[in-house]
Amino acid sequence: MNIRNFSIIAHIDHGKSTLADRLLQATKAVSDREAKAQLLDSMDLERERGITIKASAVTVMHEHNGERYMLNFIDTPGHVDFGYEVSRALKACEGALLIVDAAQGVEAQTVVNAYLAIEQDLEIIPVLNKIDLPGARPDEIAMEVEQVLGFAAEDCVLCSAKSGVGIPELLDEICERFPGPRQAQTPKTRALIFDAVYDDYRGVIVYCRVFDGRLKVGDKIRMMGLGRTFTITELGKYTPKPQKVKEVGTGETCYLVASIKTLGDVRVGDTITIDHDPAEEALSGYEPPRQMVFCDFYPATNSDKKGNDFEALREAMEKLSLNDASFTFQTVHSEALGFGYRCGFLGLLHMDIIQERLEREGDVEIVQTAPTVSYKVEVRGKEGATEEIEVHNPADLPDMGSIIAIKEPIAKVEVMVPKEYIGDVMKLALDRRGIFTGQTFVSDARDMLTFEIPLAELIYDFYDKLKGLTAGYGTMDYEINEYRTDRLVKVDVLINGDPVEALAVIVHKEKSEQRGRQLLVRLKKQIPRHQFEIPLQCAIGGKIIARETIKGFRKNVTAKCYGGDVTRKRKLLEKQKKGKERMKTIGTVNIPQEAFMAVLDVGDE
Amino acid sequence: MSDDTALSRLRQLEAASAKIPVRDALAQPGRPGVSSIYIHIPFCSHKCHYCDFYSFVDSRDRQRAFTSRLIRELASLAPLAGPVQTIFVGGGTPSLLKAELWQELLASLQETYDLSPFLKGDGEFTVECNPESVSEELLGVLKSGGVNRISMGAQSFNPEHLKTLERLHNPASVPVAVELVRNAGIDRVSVDLIYAIPGQSLQDLEHDLRHALAMPIEHLSCYELTYEPNTAMTKRLGMGEFVRTPEELEIEMFELVGAMATQAGFERYEVSNYAKPGCECRHNLAYWKQDEWIAAGPSASAHIGGHRYKNVPRLESYLTGDDEGFAMIVDHEPPDPVRLVQEKLMTGLRLREGLDVDSLLENLNAANARRVRETATEFENLGQLERTEGRWKLTPSGVLLADGIAGSLLSVIA
Repeated sequence: MNIRNFSIIAHIDHGKSTLADRLLQATKAVSDREAKAQLLDSMDLERERGITIKASAVTVMHEHNGERYMLNFIDTPGHVDFGYEVSRALKACEGALLIVDAAQGVEAQTVVNAYLAIEQDLEIIPVLNKIDLPGARPDEIAMEVEQVLGFAAEDCVLCSAKSGVGIPELLDEICERFPGPRQAQTPKTRALIFDAVYDDYRGVIVYCRVFDGRLKVGDKIRMMGLGRTFTITELGKYTPKPQKVKEVGTGETCYLVASIKTLGDVRVGDTITIDHDPAEEALSGYEPPRQMVFCDFYPATNSDKKGNDFEALREAMEKLSLNDASFTFQTVHSEALGFGYRCGFLGLLHMDIIQERLEREGDVEIVQTAPTVSYKVEVRGKEGATEEIEVHNPADLPDMGSIIAIKEPIAKVEVMVPKEYIGDVMKLALDRRGIFTGQTFVSDARDMLTFEIPLAELIYDFYDKLKGLTAGYGTMDYEINEYRTDRLVKVDVLINGDPVEALAVIVHKEKSEQRGRQLLVRLKKQIPRHQFEIPLQCAIGGKIIARETIKGFRKNVTAKCYGGDVTRKRKLLEKQKKGKERMKTIGTVNIPQEAFMAVLDVGDE
Repeated sequence: MSDDTALSRLRQLEAASAKIPVRDALAQPGRPGVSSIYIHIPFCSHKCHYCDFYSFVDSRDRQRAFTSRLIRELASLAPLAGPVQTIFVGGGTPSLLKAELWQELLASLQETYDLSPFLKGDGEFTVECNPESVSEELLGVLKSGGVNRISMGAQSFNPEHLKTLERLHNPASVPVAVELVRNAGIDRVSVDLIYAIPGQSLQDLEHDLRHALAMPIEHLSCYELTYEPNTAMTKRLGMGEFVRTPEELEIEMFELVGAMATQAGFERYEVSNYAKPGCECRHNLAYWKQDEWIAAGPSASAHIGGHRYKNVPRLESYLTGDDEGFAMIVDHEPPDPVRLVQEKLMTGLRLREGLDVDSLLENLNAANARRVRETATEFENLGQLERTEGRWKLTPSGVLLADGIAGSLLSVIA
């Protein structure tokens, strides 16, 4: 039988899910009525945000030129936060449909995703979708595809997933242009895990692509990376309804259930083999998930001091971790905010999603600190040896004297921008310590700019600024390239002379004064006036680099206080006391919880 | 009323959480009598916009009913009192009560209370008056009833600022009224002023103070305008009709009041009160030292036997008091020694004489007392509080921060 394994990759809202559904419908895998709902996305959140968070695979049968084809759609997360997951999903394929909105054109995410597919050596069919929209410019956009991605303009397939125009032709192209799976390279079984989801009833459902050998129900399998073994209790395919099968052969995709309790027992990218007859070598390219962005979550309310809110947060985190093994968390205690969790995420979007899911599914309110990145710090160890440690909390930075170098993650950033805004975007990128690495002609209206920008600068409101500068037209995407040494320093914040560890930040030396001043201005707004003047300072080592002052009250006295006023006045003072209980006292200064948030919050004044 | 019916009535009231304080106080045999009385007269000819006292313009001529009811209430409370040292009649506008009703009220006080200190010239009996509602006749009645102090509401001598306050009197009526008081043989007069009125300049205030201090008075209350919740003034501020006086100017004004009063021979003895030596208001000092006082009249607040409570503030409800003559009460707080310490800290720090700390802190446990002392040290170090001979007093810069300091001291009491 002919097998075609392929993915659909696209920028958000360019119509990936609609197209997938339309293809299913055209192969009669779903009825017209069922096609109304997008089938591949299963979570509310995904539907609302118009993005696919978790990949799924769907198998349909199709007849082409009198031959039967098994088409395996492998859905991918659309965002490079999930770059590794995307790359694993792509590795399971031989081909990819690259969807471009015929009105919007090539976006930054399209480019990054296309590069991922090219890296995996996939056959790519560019598809111009939404050609029936009034604003569609298929000819121009086809030229953009050629300019930016190097696919011949005439190779683009035109379609409208909404109306169904061009869908039969696209199916033909899939059968003809995508290659079939490679031949088995070893008689031993090797299957690539490209996704795994948690199901409340069946435990973990693993999605895999069999490259060599076969899998059968009852097989005792071994995860070659993690070394865990399980027995397959169910094998099947989504068509898109789940359909159980007894076995799966070389070149096919499937899901499997094997009494796997948590997602921690499964790693995307790992290789499945047969326990009693294992393959010698795993399939290449396995990497553990890599957390790039970190922040703390604290319960937003601390209504009772027994810490029940923290318990609720803990439960929500543990529940969510069953569903998403790619974020990490560990208990932290902040003097200012009490008990919470320091969490690591694949990227900014991933962080937002986790926060939303915790609040929505776990019904907890969360206070989130500003994100930081993960630094690699070279320190002088014992007897002159050099050690490298990972630091993602400024407070954990060792004494500056022992630090040889601080390395930070550098992102390769693609920005798609209308030509009139190029100057502004350049300025923004350079202001964020960006290095300009290239400019590509996209169309008469747009160019693609490429930069290398430290991730720490990127997560600091870069995207919002870009949108603001380009009237919303600029799009960007990024990948983490490497770690690079720079002149990074820890800026301490002193309130009334006392250093406050929770407020310290790691910034570039040249930016330290500017950031320090911004931070103090925010802090000044958040800390209430006291009976005395409060100096706020930023310092590097012992050197003060910025200073602000919160003036003391000069007057705080009620004019009248007679017999009938005593109770009311005492209650007012007690109210102030209650207010203070929610504050952190540092020395003699009361700092509200909000101050810890606001000063770390992203954005310029 | 027989004892049985009185008891059953008490139980009913107890269930309604009313009147318990008075009963408790009465039940303690041999307790010293209360020596201060506050009487509230709620009538006004016009509601001033800054005022948050219980007062209203009576359109139904209920003065007679009110006076009878008040006399009845005072008679019921009389067993609580010992020899009376101070009486303060406030409002509202007490001078609006008709002279013949005043006569009845004063006669009943003479009858039911021991006013012997007054015969020795020892008592202080103050009535608040509006300059336009004092008359020779009324003052004659007050004088013969034992009143020996008048508190005159001047507020400002500038017609424009009076209008901002919706205070409707002619400034020229104030010195005339003060003269009438003097001529009636009432020997002590206090004048009330308000400052930091929107639009008022430092020069305007100086003008007001000059006028006030030029009169034959012994006492001056000078209040910064307070925007009390639920007053017309606060609503108008919220609607943007005017802006608040800047804090820096308020401070300058506070300092100007102090300087001019001192020059005229007055001393500040409380945040907003100034007196010639020996002429401090003893009744108000009783409040600030948290002594006991009896209260009569709608909305009047009392402090007896550690209980704090307030009479029901609606005239109609007040008029239908219970069979024994007591008023229904609201906002009752039972005795609480820690609360009393807090209250003494709060009001005592407002006084020039300060607080006798050692005896006060004896009422707290050791840990609380230690924390209060430690906190006081912080303010001492800031030059806002000074300790001499076991007393805590606020320094001139500390007086302006009295609320913050009191709040901090209170907040460390667990």
